[in-house]
Order: sequence, then C-alpha cells, then structure tokens
Amino acid sequence: MTSAIGLSGLQKTYPGAPPVRALRNADLAINDNEFFTLLGPSGCGKTTLLRLMAGFEVPTGGKLTLFGEDIAHLPPEKRPINTVFQHYSLFPHMTVLENVAFGLKRLHKSDAEAKQVAQQMLDLVHLADFGDRKPGQLSGGQQQRVALARALAPQPRVLLLDEPLSALDLKLRQSMRAELKRLQRETGITFVFVTHDQEEALAMSDRIAVMSQGEIQQVGDPATIYEFPENRFVAEFIGDADFFEAEVLGGTEYKLSNGALLTGPRTEAAIGSQVTLFFRPEKAELKQSGSGLPGQVSEILYLGNSTDYVVDLAQGGALTVRSENHKDGTALADVGADVVVEIDPAAVRVVTT
Amino acid sequence: MTQKNDIRWLPGFNWVTLFFFLFLYLPLIILVVFSFNASRSATVWSGFSLEWYVKAFANDDIQRATKNSLIIAVFATVFATTMATMAALALSRNRAVKNKSLFGGVLILPLMVPEIVTAVATLTFFSAIGLSLGLGNIIIAHSVFCIPFAYLPIRARLDGMDESLEAAARDLYSNKWDTLRLITLPLLMPGILSGAMLAFIISLDDFIITLMVAEAGSTTLPIYIYSLVRVGITPEVNAISTVLLGVSVLIVTAAYLVEKKK
Repeated sequence: MTSAIGLSGLQKTYPGAPPVRALRNADLAINDNEFFTLLGPSGCGKTTLLRLMAGFEVPTGGKLTLFGEDIAHLPPEKRPINTVFQHYSLFPHMTVLENVAFGLKRLHKSDAEAKQVAQQMLDLVHLADFGDRKPGQLSGGQQQRVALARALAPQPRVLLLDEPLSALDLKLRQSMRAELKRLQRETGITFVFVTHDQEEALAMSDRIAVMSQGEIQQVGDPATIYEFPENRFVAEFIGDADFFEAEVLGGTEYKLSNGALLTGPRTEAAIGSQVTLFFRPEKAELKQSGSGLPGQVSEILYLGNSTDYVVDLAQGGALTVRSENHKDGTALADVGADVVVEIDPAAVRVVTT
Repeated sequence: MTQKNDIRWLPGFNWVTLFFFLFLYLPLIILVVFSFNASRSATVWSGFSLEWYVKAFANDDIQRATKNSLIIAVFATVFATTMATMAALALSRNRAVKNKSLFGGVLILPLMVPEIVTAVATLTFFSAIGLSLGLGNIIIAHSVFCIPFAYLPIRARLDGMDESLEAAARDLYSNKWDTLRLITLPLLMPGILSGAMLAFIISLDDFIITLMVAEAGSTTLPIYIYSLVRVGITPEVNAISTVLLGVSVLIVTAAYLVEKKK
C-alpha cells in the first residue's frame, strides 16, 4: 500500500550565517485515513514540515510524495491538500458560505454545486444557519469550525492542521478534540495535525511523530510513545518522568548514582556500563514502610484527580511520585513524612540519552 | 489615567487650547466668512450674499483652470496610485525582491526633497529632453510626486494584512493572479482608495511644481488664484478658495473614513 504522504531524506535549510537546518533528512510514511500528529516544542521543525507538505516551502533536498506521486515542487494550488491555519485565516470580506465554497469554485465547480457542498460542510460542523454571516461576527470556536469546513469542502486527499486548537480556551479545546476525531472518521481523509501539546497528541492521534531540532525522534502509536520512548527527549517531552543515571550490575540489577540498588528490565548494555533509567511518576508507589527507596516527602502538589509527592531520597537525589488520593479525599502522606518509594521493575525503562 | 495626571486639569488648559485652534483656523474662518460678503471689501462686513460664488462660477477663466486642474488630478491620481500599489505589493509581498528597506526609503524620499528643488529639476529635465505635451507635462510631473503620498497608506494597509489569508487562497486552489484579484486587492481597497484621494488632493493643490512646468494655456486653479491675488484680493478669490477648501476637506475626510473602515 502506498502511503498518503511519504518523506524520504526530506530537508529544508534556510540560508543565512549560519544556515538554519529546519528539517534534516526526515523519513516518514503517513498512512491513508490516519490521524497523524507531528508533536514537538516550538522550533522543532514541525511547522516547516507542514509548510513543505502544503507547498508554501520548497524542500532543499529529499523526496516528498502524495500517494506515490512526487509533489515536492508543485505550488500549493496544484496539491489536493488543504490546510486549517492556526489563526483560521478566514477571508473577512466574504460570508461564511462564500468562504467554504471558495475552494470548490476555484476547482471550477458550478455555483450551485459549490453552494450545495458548502452548505453540507456547514451542516457537518454544526453551523448550518451561519452561512450568511461574516467571519468577524463569529466566536473563535465558530471560526475554527468554518476553517475546518472550508478546508474539508474540496475533499482533499490530506488535511493539514496547524495547531488549530491553540487559540481556543480549555473547555472548547477539549470538545474540539472529540469533534476533530469524529470529522476524521466520518470523512475518511488523512489528517496531519501539528501541535506542541502532548496531551492533545495522545488523546487524538492514531500515530505520533515526536520531533526535536529538525529531526524526527520517534514514530509510534500514543501508547508506545508514552510507555516505550526510545530516547530521553521523547520520555521527557511526553508526560512526566523520573530519571536516574545508573550502572549495569548484570541481569536485571542496576546501581543508581546515589548508591541505591534498583531492579529493572533486562538490558543489552555491558556489565559496568552507564545507562539512564526512568519511570513514570504514576507507576511508583508511596508506602509507609517496606522494600524500596527510603526518603522524606519534601513537597506536595495537589492536582485534583491525583497528587504529586516530591520525595527527597535518603541516599541523595529526589524523585516525584504521582498517586491518587484516598477515596475519602485525604492525602497519602504529609510534608516531612518518612516514606518508602516502591518501583515495580516492569515500570522501569532504559533509554539512550 | 488619574485626574491628577490628565493635562485637561492643568490651569489655563482651556484658554491655551482655544488660542491654539484660533491660531490654526482663524485665517480660514475669515476667508470663508468674507466669501459671503455683499460688498467688494475683503475686510469690512456689509451683509450676506452669494454674489461672488455666482461670479466665480460664471468666470470662463476659472472654469478653464478648474477643468485643467481636474484633468491633471484625475490622470495623476490614476498613474500614481497604480504605481504605488505595484510598488507596495513588490516591497511587501515579493520574496525575490532584495534590499526592500532601501527601495522603500528611496520611494518616499521625494517627500523630503524641497519642492522648489523638484520643481526646478523637473523643469530642467523636461526642457533638456524637449518634452512639450501641454497638460501632459504637468500630469507626468504630478504623477511622480504623488507616488509617495499614495504609497504610504497602501503600504500601511498591506503590512497590516495577514499574509496567511493569501496563503489560504493559494491552499484553496487559487493561482497567484486569482489570489491577487480575489483576496489581496479587495482587502487592500481601502488603502488604495485612501492613497488615491490623498494623491488627488496633493495634485489639485500643487502650486510650485505646476508653476514651473505649466506652459501657456495649462493654467491650473491654484495658479489662477495666485494671479488674481496679485491684482488685488476680491471676495471672488475667497469664494473659489472656499470651494477648493470644501473639496479638500471632503476628500480627506472620506479618505480617513475609508482607511478606518475594516
């Protein structure tokens, strides 16, 4: 099966002194009918990659294909790819219906057909009665839906979404997540979604590509990215993590840099070599006593559905344990309490730095 | 802002403001008032009359000068606005154009060149190349010095426009020309209109450059008014000036309103 979008060795370097390598040798295959997310901090190259796909930038090297066809040098208007822009970019001098019909008319559809499809698209985003208004008369969330309808109306092979939720407030953002998932399912169009919000990426995507400094760090489904990050950047960027430098003692035994012993996964690394271990704070347990790493609670961060306990370890260093509160709402421990942190060996991962 | 820091509460503010506005507008008010004077005097009031307006409008020379002024202003406005729009698009949107700030600076430099210098230079240039097109000479000269006036509001509007709108049009299957026609120009129109009106007023009011390059028979309104004044100030001059003033105020106000409108 040919992928919807294929990159091989794709590069974008902006001239300058020194030149800015916004995208370095990216290889990627985005499947048809997939909700695919490009995730990374600002400046990681995700927006550059999106602009390359849309045709606003021309690559300086490598290949870019759409269903097997080379599109690297096609202008944006020749690509069956549409974009939902970060700030919607609705045409202010046209009505909502004219906005949505714009792409269809440019594709030489008849006025009647363009209007009819545009109206269907407005129905799809629950704005059926807003066709006669100007974009300026709509709220941010409504403008967002119009932008979606406008980009979906010409039935592109791929829809690009450039941080479309970042300008919305929290509640609206959460409802739009479900809405986007629904639209992707109903239309069957491949969505390429760009965001720096890892929670958004985990919640919506079929697969995620985590990017940093112009390179793709890891590609995988949300659970794989979260549970088995391939390097420290991915582990740190997705969710929270406690890291330890450790020495391999052989088998499943590790000696942490503070001298404590920890059982973890089997590793290929040679005995005596240095590795980085990490675990997710919600996978450690806070106990009054028992076997584990002893320490003292130094700080408590109440998060509502859970609580973060920062524990200063008796042997040096600190780690964070995330735990649900007791059913009656009381905390597991108070600041200053002596505790033991139990870490299940199955929760410990070894990553490269 | 607190009352204490508001300059409106400083002692004497009202009087200073009143004096300031009188200083600015008293001459104009007197000019307008005496254009309605019943007698020939431009300084002694003797009753209301529209006589001087009737006379001014019936005057063949004034009619001819007004016609010249309008022809020149219309052509100069069209040329200058077209050039200014193209320059603004090139300097604001075309990635291939290098040294944008240098070109932008050169473009508005004529605003800072003393007008008499431009006038002499234009006259010398026209006689050097033997150009003698009657009104055409004045139209060319006006087109040139109106460009920066038209350019500034157009450029300002263009810089305030979100470039992603044009990107969105390209993304939705518009080629460059359709994008210009359907998105950029309609959204730029308030800037273009405002630039055009400014150019029109500047051309209509121009005196020094016109005086230098005008050939016999190409007299414009400001030059005709000047020739009348040299003979002696009559309320007829006041009447024409008042009409010219009215037209200017109208157009500048319209330009302001158009530019303000989103």
